[in-house]
Amino acid sequence: MNKKAIVFLLVFAMVIVACGDTTEEAAVEATEEEHDHEGESTLEQVLERGFLKCGVSTGATGFTEVGDDGSYSGFDVDYCYAVAAAVFGDYSKVEFKQLTAAERFTALSAGEIDVLIRNTTWTQSRDTELGNDFGPTTYFDGQQLMGRVSDGLSSSSTLADIDGLRVCTNAGTTTEKNITEGAGLVGATIELVTVEAFSEAIDKFIAGECDIVTTDGSGLVGRRAVNDALNDWAIFPQSPISKEPLGPTYRSNDSQWADIINWVVYATIIADEYGVTRANIDSFDYDAAPEMGRLFGKNDGELQTKMGLKADAYYNVVKQIGNYDEIFSRNLNPLGLYREGGANARWTEGGLVYAPPAR
Amino acid sequence: MVDLIKKSAKSLQESLFSSVGSSVLTIATTYLVINFFRGMLGFALTSDKDWLAVLNNMQLYMVQAYPEEDFIRVWLSVGLTFVLAGLSIGIWRSEARVKSSQVFNSFFKGGLGVLFFTIIAPTNASFMGNDGSVITEEVLSMDSRLGILIPVVIFCAIFFSIRFTNVSFTVNSSDMVFFYLFIPVALLWFVKLPTIQLNQNNERIIPDPVMPIASSTKIPWTVIFVSFLVSYFIGMYLKNIKSIKSIMSLSWFLLPLLIFSWIFKKPQIDMSVVLGSDLPIFGVFLLWGFLVITFVNNALFKKYYSTYLGVTFLLTLAGVFSGLPMLAKTCLLLITLFSVVVPAVSTSSQGKRSLLIVWAVALVTLTFLLRGGASDTGIVVPGSSIFGGFSLTWLLAIFGTYVSFPLGVLLALGRNSKLPIIRIVCTGIIELTRSVPYITWLFFASVTLAVFLPAGVEFNLIVRVLMVTAFFSGAYFAENIRGGLQSIPKGQYEAADAIGMSPFQKISLIIMPQALRAVIPTLVSSAITAFKDSSLVTIIGLFDFLTIGKTVIGNQSIPVNFVGHDRENLIFVAIVYWIFTFTLSRRSMKVEKKLGLGER
Repeated sequence: MNKKAIVFLLVFAMVIVACGDTTEEAAVEATEEEHDHEGESTLEQVLERGFLKCGVSTGATGFTEVGDDGSYSGFDVDYCYAVAAAVFGDYSKVEFKQLTAAERFTALSAGEIDVLIRNTTWTQSRDTELGNDFGPTTYFDGQQLMGRVSDGLSSSSTLADIDGLRVCTNAGTTTEKNITEGAGLVGATIELVTVEAFSEAIDKFIAGECDIVTTDGSGLVGRRAVNDALNDWAIFPQSPISKEPLGPTYRSNDSQWADIINWVVYATIIADEYGVTRANIDSFDYDAAPEMGRLFGKNDGELQTKMGLKADAYYNVVKQIGNYDEIFSRNLNPLGLYREGGANARWTEGGLVYAPPAR
Repeated sequence: MVDLIKKSAKSLQESLFSSVGSSVLTIATTYLVINFFRGMLGFALTSDKDWLAVLNNMQLYMVQAYPEEDFIRVWLSVGLTFVLAGLSIGIWRSEARVKSSQVFNSFFKGGLGVLFFTIIAPTNASFMGNDGSVITEEVLSMDSRLGILIPVVIFCAIFFSIRFTNVSFTVNSSDMVFFYLFIPVALLWFVKLPTIQLNQNNERIIPDPVMPIASSTKIPWTVIFVSFLVSYFIGMYLKNIKSIKSIMSLSWFLLPLLIFSWIFKKPQIDMSVVLGSDLPIFGVFLLWGFLVITFVNNALFKKYYSTYLGVTFLLTLAGVFSGLPMLAKTCLLLITLFSVVVPAVSTSSQGKRSLLIVWAVALVTLTFLLRGGASDTGIVVPGSSIFGGFSLTWLLAIFGTYVSFPLGVLLALGRNSKLPIIRIVCTGIIELTRSVPYITWLFFASVTLAVFLPAGVEFNLIVRVLMVTAFFSGAYFAENIRGGLQSIPKGQYEAADAIGMSPFQKISLIIMPQALRAVIPTLVSSAITAFKDSSLVTIIGLFDFLTIGKTVIGNQSIPVNFVGHDRENLIFVAIVYWIFTFTLSRRSMKVEKKLGLGER
């Protein structure tokens, strides 16, 4: 036996060591996680773990984005941060799990994540069949269509006007079903071109391979702002062809956790109603607005402690993340999405953003 | 010169327009090719493209969310790899000479490449600010374009014409590697590309057209290049030391382990554990190995050698399933293997001495790695996994191949085994793994594996993916290697038996070297497949290199709006993948040539 054999053997031994190394590492993690018992409530698990696991999208402009340094931002991401701020008083205690549309609900029910905030539409079947519950809607979206002004379309066009046109959309989504159903109802014959991802649909639209492209309104506005150099693109109909209420999703049968998530959203909305922002939160006159004082734990904060949180939990949410309006404008205004005149305006201004009173 | 043009025209005519038929064919093909690439050409010529989307996200591409204060670890791992490469090139310094005309030719081609990029480089870069307005900035004025074009044209002309002069000399092909590497490193200091900067409020964007390319990387790369050069000369100096080549092979094998367990972690080492448990264990096993080596030729030891082996084996088995520290367990495994080898090697005092050195080095490395790998990591990545981008692709490809190759060897041997249980188990593993698509296995790792594990036990997603990847590519490696095993004539086995080799010796010295040599092309193509398949992890939400280019950057609206700039990023990703796979396949072709594959 010569030296080659020794090298071979040592190599072999190191492989075993390599495997051992991985197992030990996993074992270390296993002991860390060992305390997650089945019977514990989600809040107890989260507190014991020390950070929140939040399911977000793999990429949705304005909602979940990864910046050039790898940091997360976006409308949905901010609500993940808000939940962490409420639970820990520190918004940064979040681990994001990027989930595809296919695996999001499985990940939630398998306990991979604590809450799913991934522009997920609240539907009856998802609410009843999948063992999930939906929190308050944070963004009211709806499916719209985009066509060219040069094709005779305008923002006041309706579904009936797309008769005989080629429509690009994602395959196998509710978007596809909605457009087929909607066109069928008004008697318009369309030629459906399905693609895998929405960016391909836009590419086909730009290349002229289809006349209409359709998805949620928020996505269309964002793309029009960037790609429409000639101001030729029109988004219609005025009232979307479908309702897409997007909001947080959590596992059923854990009402404490559900309350926490719901009131994180409500707290941002109430703060917006009173005009409390990150800037003026410490100088705000809480005596003049007792509801704000109660919500931010300025007296005893009994309502928060009953939820299992600290008295100033929602104060931390608004202090660190901001109110609803701040979250919205920070993430969605750059895309050309504004609250005014839409469903996401304050209820006092004709919108749907409304929160129950904090008392 | 005129001669040359005449010659070229003649050869063109001969090869493309020799007859009516071939002329038609040439024109038709040209038309088709132009049409085929028209989209590509159009894209290259429009001002619509925005390479800032690629440049501005380099950090995201490479390490995703890896914390900036720990970048030194990444640089160290890259530097270590280059130092080892320099040493190896020095030790295995090739004596082949390269003709000067070849060198000038490649300079000419490189110059043409620079020329091409200078011509197609956009004059203006426009991007979208946070307030939705489009900001346009001149990044390459006509004057500066001419300033680059003219020297490059002269450069090309010189190297084109020098080929027809009588200048001819040869250079060592290994030395040329340094020259080629020197060019990109030097360019880092001079080439300037536009990048985007943010002000203190992280809101507004100030484009800076004269930022040197990757200004943060030029100093590390220069340091790395210098150490590469130094290690090359050290390698040439060490060339004649005995067993240096085995040490180098071993170092290459240990390098990924070191990087994975030590450099990607910031070990927080508890000194009381090191002194109280690691050092004693290290001492005990060093002594054990020393004793085995010393007494291996002792008559009494020889008599009870098989008993000793059995006891060691049982001890190891008991130790592995007991609550011993990890280091003790792995050392037990190692001593068992070591004890098997010792009698065969340590026949001379020289052999004994080198064996003792090998044993000590192995123990030190093992202790070092385990302590580093098993300690808590001090690297905090807010919000996501530590690996992302190219580092994740690299990890999946290298570590996947690294674990799955030995696994494949074992599975292939097991499938050929005469023992029915081993054969059936190995065949079962191979067939089960191969009959299910890789994507399904990834979903299994991501979603289903958690259901099979006991409540509360949870592996990191990347560890789970590595587990299924190791089995998946292991099964393919096994089938490839089995093909090699079947090509070995029966006579080889019989000859090995006839000279009294043990089964282990027979496999490791006679069969495996021949079998592996026969299947190098398929092994390399399996490794390339593994490298490219690693991009499939995107479907379970891991951000590999491709996903960053395809999904992440196309969705960025903050801090700079890059929505819709997919094509630039996809082209960049394709080029990087191509460079790596092409290098790999060219290397393997060289290895094949060296081994005389297909000739003997």
